[in-house]
Amino acid sequence: MPQTAVLELTNLKKTIKGKEIVKGVNLTLYPSQIFGFLGPNGAGKTTTIRMIVGLIKPTEGSVTICGYSVAHDFVKALSNVGCIIESPDMYKYLTGMENLLQFAAMNKTVSQQRIKDVVEMVGLQHRVNDKVSTYSLGMRQRLGIAQAILARPKLLILDEPTNGLDPAGMTEFRNLIRKLAYEDGMSVFVSSHLLLEIQQMCDMVSIIKQGRVIKTANVQDILHDDWIEWQLNDPEQAIAILRNHWNIEALQLKKNTIRACLSQHPLDKINDQFIREGLALTYCSAKQNTLEDLFLDLTEGDEIV
Amino acid sequence: MKLFSLIENEVIKMISKKRLMFVLAILVVLISVFAYGQKQTLERTKAQLSQRMGITATDDWRKLADQQLIDMKNRLESPYRDEKDKSSLLVRMEQLQYNLDHNLNPLEQSAAKFSTKFMEQAIFLFLPLLIIMLAADMVSGESSSGTIKLLLVRNVPRWKILLSKYLTLIILEVIVLFFAFVLSVIISGFFFGFGGWFAPIATGFKVLAGKLDTSSVFNVPQWQYSLMVYSLAYFVAVVVGSISFMISILVKSTAASIGIIMSTLVAGNFISFFLTDWKITRYMFMVNLRLTDYLSGSFQPIEGMTMLFSITVLLGWTIASVIISFVYFTKQDILV
Repeated sequence: MPQTAVLELTNLKKTIKGKEIVKGVNLTLYPSQIFGFLGPNGAGKTTTIRMIVGLIKPTEGSVTICGYSVAHDFVKALSNVGCIIESPDMYKYLTGMENLLQFAAMNKTVSQQRIKDVVEMVGLQHRVNDKVSTYSLGMRQRLGIAQAILARPKLLILDEPTNGLDPAGMTEFRNLIRKLAYEDGMSVFVSSHLLLEIQQMCDMVSIIKQGRVIKTANVQDILHDDWIEWQLNDPEQAIAILRNHWNIEALQLKKNTIRACLSQHPLDKINDQFIREGLALTYCSAKQNTLEDLFLDLTEGDEIV
Repeated sequence: MKLFSLIENEVIKMISKKRLMFVLAILVVLISVFAYGQKQTLERTKAQLSQRMGITATDDWRKLADQQLIDMKNRLESPYRDEKDKSSLLVRMEQLQYNLDHNLNPLEQSAAKFSTKFMEQAIFLFLPLLIIMLAADMVSGESSSGTIKLLLVRNVPRWKILLSKYLTLIILEVIVLFFAFVLSVIISGFFFGFGGWFAPIATGFKVLAGKLDTSSVFNVPQWQYSLMVYSLAYFVAVVVGSISFMISILVKSTAASIGIIMSTLVAGNFISFFLTDWKITRYMFMVNLRLTDYLSGSFQPIEGMTMLFSITVLLGWTIASVIISFVYFTKQDILV
């Protein structure tokens, strides 16, 4: 694509206390895109997001926002970002409006009118002068979104944004995000462990598991992609072969079962290679429309690492 | 100026949290109790005096002072006086003469005396506690509420955020000292009257060879002495504030950091009583906080400790705290 990337992650890694939590994430996000970051709890989503906004430093790799490196050009890079990390923590002893004024004061481009507009956009106009300690989680979430979009960022990062919203609030929220992306030209990066949410809201999706991105694709495509399931005697070796020779990230589902998404790769040649390397293949089948199956497997079967 | 907006933000937060109000309320209560207690003591002393010496009318103190003055003059002219005693006698005479000239009973309290005495007593424990209450919450409060994340993902470098917090603390320390002074003058003024600002008071004590040396003692007006006491108190506030600020950054919990510094301060009082011969203790900041004692000469002289020494030690702690705070804060991973 000829457009300049709004967000680019290159081989991002993070080790915390000897445990590698993010194991080399690569992502590119273009203007006006709504990008879903899907993964089970503990997959490394929040750690990745914290590295994007500079709250933690990557052990390896780099984050570039609108052409500025977060590590070397923090202020310029972060000028383009609005975000909510994990939960919308606000100053509880201030009112909603006082909270917004705090953040407005840190960015000269925000006018009084803009604050008013944003409050209306998120539907908080009736409660904005109450103390945040009296807010419900949903209202705090709205206030969180308000502070994130206050300075008209090019990149909006939302970590589990629909936590605490009721179904009506979720629909409202989806419409707001669409409007921000398609009318105001913001790129939106949404992390979630809810497949449906990503499916309904996003254009692109990356699926992350155990610190590795296992698939990045257009949401529509991924639903119709060919997923292949193998049963064989040595799944570790098979995963290694797929990664090294075919550049495919495969998943181990059960003891002897692995699954991978083949876009254009020839299945017969992969199978040939498996047999040549001495693997005993007992079963191989194609699965259709299996994003949901896959995701259920991701979120259920495994322990959190 | 972005830094100014940041400081404004911090001040708004501090006022909304009502912590400053709380600190000022504590000051009002404590000063009132202290002033009332002083009043009671004063009356008891007067009663005792009149019993023992038969001084009943308030004017009678003049006779006694006149007597003392003549007595001291005689001692001064005696050929057996050495130089040390001479200067302290001179200072004492000057004070008595002032009392006689201005018809001031030396027993009487005044707002000027009280406010100075209050800070001399507060400087090593009470004032630090007030400052800790403000300083220990500034960074760790944001860590425990999670709002630190909101603060650090703006287009403002981390050091600037921290600098705005530190400068806010410096300003708050001025406010606390200012109110401590104004409140103690106003409250004690109701008990003792608002005067006393020009009365002479002795200072200039030195510690020579482990003994209090009074040879260079001289009188300064009370207002000047008060100013010195409050300046030193402000310096102590900055020192304690900086150390608390650092601990709250390292520990990330307000309760834990308040606990750590308070126990350190209390331990400091123990140490200055029991471990005076253990040389390393004099480099601890808690032992050096009683700076005003150097002015009033009420210091328990410890070999090698002077005003300059104490100030240098405290300055060292402050600079180290600030450096550690900034280095750690700008490098740490925010995981809350």
